Amino acid sequence: MSGRETRTLRSPLTDGVVNVLLGLVAAVWLLPYLWMLSTSFKTLPEIVRAPTAPLPSGLDLGAYRAVLESMPLARYFWNTTVMALGIAFTQIAVALPAGYALAKLKFAGRGVAFGLVVATLLIPAQVRFVPVFALLAEVGWVNTMTALILPFGVSAFGTFLIRQALMSVPDSLIEAARMDGASELRIIYGLLGPMLRPTLVSFFLFSFVYHWNDYFWPLVMTTDDAVRTLPLGIALLREQGTGVRWHIVMAGNVLLSAPALAVFAFAQRHLLRAVASKA
Amino acid sequence: MRPSRRFDPLWMLGPTLVLLVVFFFVPLLQAAKSSLYEWDLLTPPRYVGLDNYRALIDSGELGHALSTTLIMSAVVVVGSMALGLGLALALNRPTRFAGFVRSAVFSAYVVSWVSVALLWLWVLDADAGALTALCRALHLPTTHWLGNPKSALYALSGVTIWKIAGYSMVLFLAGLQDIPRSLYEAASLDGAGAWQRFVNVTWPLLRPTAAFVGTTSLIISFQVFDVVRVMTQGGPVRSTSVFVYAIYEQVFLNLRVGRASALVVVFFVLLLGLTALQLWAWRKKGAA
Amino acid sequence: MSFSRRAFLALAATGCAASTAPPGRKTAPLWFTYGGKNRQVLEGLVKTFNLSQGEHWITPIYQGDYFEGLAKLRTAIAARRAPALSHVVGEVVPYLAQADVLEPLDDYPGARQLDIVPALGQAGSWIGGAERRLVALPFNRSTPIAYLNGKLFAEKNLAAPKTWDELRAVARAFTHDGRHGFGCPIDWWFWAALVGQAGGDVVEPDGRVSLGGEAGERALDFWKTLVLDDKSMKPPPGRDYNAWEQTNQDFLGARVAMIWTSTAFLKYLEENAPFPVVAAPLPAERRRAVPTGGTHWIMLRAAPAEQKPTAWAFLRFMHETANAITWATRTGYMPVTRAAIAQLEAEGYYQKHPNDRVALDQLGVARPWPWSPDLFRVQREIVQPRLEGAVLGGKGTRQSLDEARALATRWR
Repeated sequence: MSGRETRTLRSPLTDGVVNVLLGLVAAVWLLPYLWMLSTSFKTLPEIVRAPTAPLPSGLDLGAYRAVLESMPLARYFWNTTVMALGIAFTQIAVALPAGYALAKLKFAGRGVAFGLVVATLLIPAQVRFVPVFALLAEVGWVNTMTALILPFGVSAFGTFLIRQALMSVPDSLIEAARMDGASELRIIYGLLGPMLRPTLVSFFLFSFVYHWNDYFWPLVMTTDDAVRTLPLGIALLREQGTGVRWHIVMAGNVLLSAPALAVFAFAQRHLLRAVASKA
Repeated sequence: MRPSRRFDPLWMLGPTLVLLVVFFFVPLLQAAKSSLYEWDLLTPPRYVGLDNYRALIDSGELGHALSTTLIMSAVVVVGSMALGLGLALALNRPTRFAGFVRSAVFSAYVVSWVSVALLWLWVLDADAGALTALCRALHLPTTHWLGNPKSALYALSGVTIWKIAGYSMVLFLAGLQDIPRSLYEAASLDGAGAWQRFVNVTWPLLRPTAAFVGTTSLIISFQVFDVVRVMTQGGPVRSTSVFVYAIYEQVFLNLRVGRASALVVVFFVLLLGLTALQLWAWRKKGAA
Repeated sequence: MSFSRRAFLALAATGCAASTAPPGRKTAPLWFTYGGKNRQVLEGLVKTFNLSQGEHWITPIYQGDYFEGLAKLRTAIAARRAPALSHVVGEVVPYLAQADVLEPLDDYPGARQLDIVPALGQAGSWIGGAERRLVALPFNRSTPIAYLNGKLFAEKNLAAPKTWDELRAVARAFTHDGRHGFGCPIDWWFWAALVGQAGGDVVEPDGRVSLGGEAGERALDFWKTLVLDDKSMKPPPGRDYNAWEQTNQDFLGARVAMIWTSTAFLKYLEENAPFPVVAAPLPAERRRAVPTGGTHWIMLRAAPAEQKPTAWAFLRFMHETANAITWATRTGYMPVTRAAIAQLEAEGYYQKHPNDRVALDQLGVARPWPWSPDLFRVQREIVQPRLEGAVLGGKGTRQSLDEARALATRWR
């Protein structure tokens, strides 16, 4: 990494002060999660007595058991993962040829096609959900995995990324492959796809995490447990009327946050690259 | 390059364009059309012309959604930009510890909004939550953070800032790292102190990034929904009824699809304006 | 019971209740909107039903609170994926009936012999309900009642207030040192109770939305007096069921000495309060009056035909005396059949649990809703926000109600 502040103003004292401040910053972002984790291992009487005690008196798994009892957790996990995988894969599969055509081929209407893709950035989910819902209701696809995946089959962002990446691939490479007898299909998925792997991996992770976490669309498109996703299921834990049982809500929240944090821990670089490349 | 077969672009772009038309453009036109009807999803729609718009304006709901969203956006944009910039400046160092803190801050961006909302629902609990306990320990005044109509919107804004500050930070860091060290060295050779280096070197070169971060935060803040739904359901006394939540409520709780579509049309126009802003900022960054 | 044993039983119960039915059974989904304790009781009854016979199987699915659940139900109807069985609040039944999405129940076997308590069933819940096709059966029916902190009231030697003036005095007596004398969610239901007590009706029998006229204003002003002038009433913040929950917590934490809330929370409050809980009827102003609340069972016309006999079998099960008693005595809702009440009386149940009797006795002064399809819209869109605005936001009473009335007539 470059562009650092010059060394001349660093001294052990300022370093120490800065590190304390940085520690406080880290605390603001980490302590809430740690408290959530701690709460999830407490019992209800413990919470009523000493809600802000930093450590639980013991590792009580009652809250986790209650979460498992009150919802088909495994099914929600499965639904969410299938949905996010389906979306990310579909987006890449669709964006590769589209990005290729927009980057490499000259044909009538290319500008219009590109413009249409750009235009969809202006039409977010909240603008299109009611008519899409009505359409899917007409064909009986509400509350199915199709309703969760298909409307997100195209990613303008992904199409851009791929187009951008392909523009720096020399034409000669493709022409050579053509002369070797490769079909366009082969070139796109067999040659260029693997070449773009870092970009695709970053995008895949970004899209996967984004849709795994999505709450709004599944909220609107599902009506019962069949394809309900995890964020919806966990959000239902805040039951009304007879007292929120915080340890259970926090246990559910731990289960909800863990996968995203795990992906983040293992794939930070890729995610950061995807985020930074949006700029 | 020429396509190897003339109809190649057709199948390459076909799936994309079909999906776009079916799931983006047609719904947009449908929403505009629906806004002229009264429809409850259970019985056939009834044409009412511009009545929905009139009702939204007369009842004050449109104005209220606008003002609530704008207030929240203002707080979120300013807050997340300032915080993001501050964090980027402070964490722009090569130590492992700084790397660890950067990850900690960014981690909030990676989890779902539901996760953040449930977490802060607990932290902001008026009786048992950590924030109240902290304030009491420091002898600061407390209130019912999420239940007081005066503070609820700001509480939600704070939660939003907490979640997206990491995103601003990453973008600012990228911008900072694009600034050549030679400029700093030249400036300090000229005798410039840290503040002057910031004002004369860092900020001018960072301005396009800042504009970009600003407009992106603005668009994110306009689309806030999950925290409202999970934490306050638009209350108390509708003080957190932001645009997207108002649309949702009209469709699913009031069963007024026509009125919701009218809100959607207004929302879309607003987004158009904001995106034009973002394009202008992006062009400035490209030009810089 | 140790946690692991309870967990095992509950797991077994959910394992049976929530997962797939054994082969050969006719199944039907039941969408319910309960959390916490009442949910456990319901799921227990579903499990008993499933295991007590070999033909039918009910799959219970949790859908959030009343409002969320209602939203999903209407969405599902629109998407042609309606469940066979669900339950909804009384205010919305006329609307659903008019939209023709409810399955008429008159002709199902045994429908006319269910022996329902008249005030709780369709006949008594809506004006003219008896003359219409049967579409709703009572499930968890309630009235608002007052809960008193027995210890605090004994210390000051005070009794439950019987009039509005007495309530004001009692509330003031308990308001000191950070504690409030009275707490009540700022909710349409309780306002309707006050309107009735002040001598008016929220919606006139002919469907005209009068909002109680002068009585409506006096009801709202009464709250304002308690909250803003006497400061003896703690208004719970938050919306919908958040507000109700906060009221319960304030009562349990002895931060409020007396609350108004549903009889539905009777068992919950009794079991969790570190002091004796005394239930009492609501006071009178010009007269005694309470609305009824809770929900009614409904079957959806759009559900697959094969599911309906199963749903009906479960409804008959819930109306059997033993099950009606189980439901009522474990939650606090009222028993829905006359046979159930008779048996409880014969067993001396009400002598041992006088609190359970309060809601039942108030049925004599319960006011039915008009059969008005607009009722829920009036409640949710027009009145509820204005109640909050007037009491918590400081808006003028007459102005708020006039606005509401105007909106109710214009934007049908």
